[in-house]
Amino acid sequence: MKRLCAIFAALGLAACELPADPLDFTRKEAPIFKAQAPRPTPPPAGKALKVMAWNVKYGACRVDFWFDFWGDRVQLSRTEVEDCLTGIAKLIQEYDPDVLMTSEIEAGSKRSAYIDMVRFILERTNLNYATYVQTWSSRYVPSEGVGRIDLGNAIFSRYPITKAEAIRQQDRTDQDPITKSFYIHRAVARAELDLGNSQTVVAYAVHTEAYDNDGTKQKQIKQIHELLKAETKSWVIGGDFNELPPVCDEKATSGADSCEGKLRLTGFLDERASATGTMYAQPPYTPSVMKPLYEDFVPSVTLAQYGVGDAQQRRYFTHSVLGPDGKNDDGVPGYWNRTLDYLFAPKGSRWESADVIQEPGRLGVSQDALRLSDHAPVAGTWVRP
Amino acid sequence: MSRVILSVVLGLATVASAEPRVARDTADVGKKGSWSVGVFAPLRFAVTDWLELSGHPLLFFVDPNVTARFGLLRETPVRLTTEVGLAVPTPLMRLTQGFLFPSWETSNNKVGWMMVPRAAVLVSGGERRKHVWTALAEFQFRVGFEQTNAGPLTSFLGPLDLAFAAPLTGYVGRLGGAADFALGELFRLRGELNVHLTGSDGRLVVNGVGDVGPLPSLSPWYFTGHLAVDLAVGKSSRLSVGVYYANYDSGASEVRKGADGLSQRFRVRSANILPTVDFIWAGP
Repeated sequence: MKRLCAIFAALGLAACELPADPLDFTRKEAPIFKAQAPRPTPPPAGKALKVMAWNVKYGACRVDFWFDFWGDRVQLSRTEVEDCLTGIAKLIQEYDPDVLMTSEIEAGSKRSAYIDMVRFILERTNLNYATYVQTWSSRYVPSEGVGRIDLGNAIFSRYPITKAEAIRQQDRTDQDPITKSFYIHRAVARAELDLGNSQTVVAYAVHTEAYDNDGTKQKQIKQIHELLKAETKSWVIGGDFNELPPVCDEKATSGADSCEGKLRLTGFLDERASATGTMYAQPPYTPSVMKPLYEDFVPSVTLAQYGVGDAQQRRYFTHSVLGPDGKNDDGVPGYWNRTLDYLFAPKGSRWESADVIQEPGRLGVSQDALRLSDHAPVAGTWVRP
Repeated sequence: MSRVILSVVLGLATVASAEPRVARDTADVGKKGSWSVGVFAPLRFAVTDWLELSGHPLLFFVDPNVTARFGLLRETPVRLTTEVGLAVPTPLMRLTQGFLFPSWETSNNKVGWMMVPRAAVLVSGGERRKHVWTALAEFQFRVGFEQTNAGPLTSFLGPLDLAFAAPLTGYVGRLGGAADFALGELFRLRGELNVHLTGSDGRLVVNGVGDVGPLPSLSPWYFTGHLAVDLAVGKSSRLSVGVYYANYDSGASEVRKGADGLSQRFRVRSANILPTVDFIWAGP
C-alpha cells in the first residue's frame, strides 16, 4: 500500500495516506518548526529556566465530548477552537515560559477544525521553536463520526531546537485489532535546546495511556524512567502521566503504606456512573508506579509539599473532567480533583516558585485555567546545577 | 485459482451474443420492458420506450430512492434525456450513527428527516452498440423537515462524502463527460470524468446551545474519474471491472522539511484510487 501511495504521489496525483497510521517506529527524527513572526534572538540562558507542562485538551476548553460522559459533542466550530486557543496562548504568554511541553495538541483534526495548534501557539507567544510528535494519526476514525485525527505532544522553546525525536511507547494489548489500529500510539517527544554559550539541555514531553486495563500505562511510565536514567545531557520532563503521586502503595491493604486516608484512589467528583463498563471507564490508579521517578529525580512539587488527604493535596490537583459550569450527579460543581501532571528534573537540580496554575492569581497569571482545559498547567523555575 | 476464474468468465463470455453490449449510463432509454440491475448499479426498468424508472435495490429500505428518466430526443443522432429523482437518506444516516455520525446520547441533537430531490440532463451521441459519448449535468439538494446537527462527513472515501454531500452540505452539483467504446463484440471500454461542487461546510448548531460558529472550511470541489472494462457475459449481461479516482480536500496536511532543517506544514488535497467491480444482469 505504501509503495502504491508512493507511486501515485510521485505522479503528482495527490497526497496518499493510510487510513490509520500505525506510527511504526522505535525512534525517529521529529520536525522542528519556527515562529514566522520576527523575534530578537534570546540572550544565552543562565542556570534558571521557566518551564511549563500543560495538557491543552485539543483546544476544546470546557466543551464536553462524548467519551467524557458529561456531554456528547464530537466536533468543535472554528471559532470555538480559536477562542479557546487564544485563551491558552494568553495564559502561556502571561507566565512566559522558556520551555513548554504540551500534550493533546492537534495539528489537523476534524474535531478541532483542522487547526494547526503548534503554529497557533508559536505565533502568539514568545516561544520561537517547536517540535511536534504525532501520537494519533488516522485519516478517519470510524467512531461517532470523529473523522480525521492528528494529535500529539509538542515541545516549545524560546531557544533554538537543534534536534528533535519521537520515541515510541508500547501500545495497548487489550484491544481488538481494528480498535487498536485506529487508536492512539503513544510516543515521547524529545528535543535538544541550544541555550547559547555551548549549553544544551534536553526537554521531554509525555502523555501516557489513560484507559488501559493491561498494565500499558505502567510499562510506559517505566520506559520513561529508563529513558531519563539513560539521558546523558541535562534534562527536564513534563506532561500528563495519567497517574496519581506515590503518596502510598495502592497494594497495601493496611498499615503505614496503605492509601486509606492519604490518597483518594476512586470516587472522584467528576466520574459519571454511565461511564462504568465502557472503554472510557477510569481503570484503577497505581500510584506506586510513580515512586522511582520521585526517588531518582526532583519533582516540581515534592511529596512533602503534596501532603496527605484531599484538603492538603487540593492546591496541587491538576485534573477535572467536569468543568466549573457543570455539576455532578450529586449537584457538586466541577473542580480540580486529582493530580496527574508533573515536572521532573535530574538530581542536583532544584525547583523555585513551582506551582499548579489552578486559578487566576497563581504565579502571576490572570487567565482561568479551569475554563481552558480539563488539565491545569504545572509550572516552575528549573535551576540547573 | 485465477486460471479457473478466467476460464469460467471466458466460458460465459463465449456464449455472449455476437452483437456488442449497448453503452451504459448514457442518455439512451431502453425499449419498453427492458431492464438491467447490478450488484451496485441501479435497477432500471423501461416502462415505455421513453420512460425508464431506476433505483438502488440494495439501499431501498434504508435510503428509499427512485429516479424517472424521460427520453426527450430518442431516435436522433444526438439524444437528450432528463432525470428527476427523490431519495430519503434519513434512515440510513440514523442507522450509521455511532460510526459515521455521532450517537448524541446525552442531548437531543439528531439527524432530522429530510428528502433529497435530484435533477439531471444527459446528452449522448454516437451509436448505442458502438462508440457513444455522453455529457451530464446533475444537481441534488436537501429539503429538510427538521434540524440536522451533523456536519459534512469528510471521511476517508471521496465517493462516500459525495453520497452524503447533499444531505449534509445542502447540495451537490456535477458536470461530467463519458466516452464508451466497443472493443470487438465482447468488450467495452468506458471512461468518465466529473467535476462536483458541494454546498458550504456551514455552521455548527448544537441543540440547547445554538449556533456555535462556522465549521472548518474545506474546498467544495471534487474531481472524479472512472475507467472500466465491460466483458459481455451470457445473452445480455456483463461483468465490469475498473478503477475509480477521486481528488478532494479531506483536511489533510503535509510536513515538509526545508534546506535549513526547519519544517513547514502545508494543506494538501487527498486522493482515492479504488478498484471497482460489478456484475450487471440485463434483459431481454
